[in-house]
Amino acid sequence: MSDADVKKDADLKKKVVDAVKAIKKGPRAMRMYMEMCAKCGTCASVCPVYFGKADKRYNPAERTDVIRRIYRKHCTLSGSLLGKLAGAEDFDPADIKEWEKIFYECTGCRRCASYCPFGIDHSVITRKGRAILDQTGHTPETMQKVVQVSLETGNTDGANPAALKAAVEFLEEEMQDEHGVEIKIPVDVEGVDYFYVPPSGDVLVNPEATMGLAKVFHVLGLSDRWTMSSTCFDGANYGLFTGNDKDMKDDNKLYVEEAKKLGAKTMLMGECGHAYRIMKMMMEKTGWWGKLGFQIANCMQWTADHINNGRLEFDKSKNPQPVTYHDPCNFGRSCDIVEEPRVILDAVCADFREMYPNRGDNWCCGGGGGLSAMDDIQDFRMEISGKKKLEQIRQTGAKYVATACSNCKRQLTQLMEYHKEEIDVGGVHDMLSRAILINGKAAEREDYV
Amino acid sequence: MECVRLIVGVILPYIAVLVFVGGMIWRIVTWKKLASPAMTLFPAPATEGANAINTAKEILFFKSLFGGDRVLWILAWTFHAVLALIVLGHFRVFTKYVDVTLGMLGMSDDAIKAMSGGAGGAAGIVILIALALLLIRRMALQRAREITGVVDYFALLLIGAVIITGNAMRFGAEHFELKQTHDYFYSLATFDYVSGMDVLKNNVFFVHMCLAFLLIMFIPFSKILHFGGIFFTHQLIRKQ
Repeated sequence: MSDADVKKDADLKKKVVDAVKAIKKGPRAMRMYMEMCAKCGTCASVCPVYFGKADKRYNPAERTDVIRRIYRKHCTLSGSLLGKLAGAEDFDPADIKEWEKIFYECTGCRRCASYCPFGIDHSVITRKGRAILDQTGHTPETMQKVVQVSLETGNTDGANPAALKAAVEFLEEEMQDEHGVEIKIPVDVEGVDYFYVPPSGDVLVNPEATMGLAKVFHVLGLSDRWTMSSTCFDGANYGLFTGNDKDMKDDNKLYVEEAKKLGAKTMLMGECGHAYRIMKMMMEKTGWWGKLGFQIANCMQWTADHINNGRLEFDKSKNPQPVTYHDPCNFGRSCDIVEEPRVILDAVCADFREMYPNRGDNWCCGGGGGLSAMDDIQDFRMEISGKKKLEQIRQTGAKYVATACSNCKRQLTQLMEYHKEEIDVGGVHDMLSRAILINGKAAEREDYV
Repeated sequence: MECVRLIVGVILPYIAVLVFVGGMIWRIVTWKKLASPAMTLFPAPATEGANAINTAKEILFFKSLFGGDRVLWILAWTFHAVLALIVLGHFRVFTKYVDVTLGMLGMSDDAIKAMSGGAGGAAGIVILIALALLLIRRMALQRAREITGVVDYFALLLIGAVIITGNAMRFGAEHFELKQTHDYFYSLATFDYVSGMDVLKNNVFFVHMCLAFLLIMFIPFSKILHFGGIFFTHQLIRKQ
């Protein structure tokens, strides 16, 4: 090894060890997870990845132990004296390549935390591992690219305002064709009540969800009370996935500033689990930017409320196929948005079926934690992390899987194709869009069923 | 040998209690000082009171584990519940006032002895079986075996040794005098000249006590720390 390489390794080791030692200073959960795992293996038995393949590297407790061993070595007396006997081991710079893989083999779905006798949430340690990778310049290229594009353009697709406006115009034309009336999707309108923040995929890739929501606004007579933004139309925030808090907050700030500029009273988050989680459970709850002047809500809550109040009407026969709902982990376990999508699907589908287990107990699609965006690990996602989900979906007999998350949609679509299942995957408002009555009539389109 | 008995019999108890109490206080104070931003995991109790009740369910009934691994739940819950009973039962060895109180409640000496022998004896057997099954499970199940290290086996074996020596006293030939232990622990607790040292001449008792104190000291610095941690970790993820 050359002198330069030796120095590089020493630098890497120092950075990693310092980052692990910082766990002593909190947060409380992370430090306690270093100190009290009983190694009972329950996490492995409820983990979608370990279900896919019972391999030590996929065992959640083992992944956490990768960091715990270093913690023991540097932060405990027994670890520094007894080494491996006390479960301690120093960091070896040669392991960093393995770290790049191992910390991106956890979907961060938090299912382990639901069943661990001590409530140990391994996703916290996964994110710590990813943060260390990020600090040392080892975030996988595919992930890094998404973050970069997102910080540069404000959205993960790298689309510019003109593209957004073109997409919106196209959707308006579609809706005109479907219903014979003008249904607006306002863009950059200031002083309205609602600022809609979807994942960019729901405008550019699977735009039916956005059409569905526009139709709800139309029926309620609120078409001039909402807006999208031509610069901020993607709630996706990959800083959560790379463990980089600064990236996460920078990305988030764009949206908060935009909401303030627009003067909206409510930021209406779209069908994107982690975007809503960051806005609602992290930014708003812990007050990243002080007093906001607007509230955070989710479009499924909003629509479900109007369904419960009897303000919307549907023709269920437009969605005759069996439909099931996949609870995105970030909506279910992390935000408690579980009943609302069911209210919507129950109202708009003729044959809605649950998959089991569901809600807070649901199995991850296998693409959580940003994995869905990583094409370099597609085999892993199709053969291992998505295996349980495939089984669950097959058992329902559904022909359409509705889910409220662009990452889940991408993973599930690929999963169905890969395993040659003729099952469609889409959003919740997508189904609503096909069944909602406007002037007493549902959309006229032939290519739906 | 007398010297060893003196060190273990008179000094170790104080060290062990200090290490245990000091260690646990240090852990809890350190945890309390660290920031704990909300990281709610749903379904979560709506209020702090409901959260406390949820934590109590976790501590008393291992609620999460019940949903996660039913077989482990049966073994682990049995083990811990019987352990709690055994710890309670040991107060009869530490102080005569347990017998005095039971006597006042109308139990005859014979009845107390029969209860101690029956319930205590059964507990000793059940916990040994539960521990053995936990150990077998750990070695037989891949998902547990592959994450188990030397220190994890050490903890199980140490507990096993304490249980076996405890059972040996109850079922073995060399039974000790309760009166002696009462005097012994009373003088330890009152920092008096340690009387009842004769009890230490009982070899099985001597080893049992020695291992038990080691185990107690081991708690704050090992995974058995979950004994204290469980009071906090569930609150962390379930608070809204």
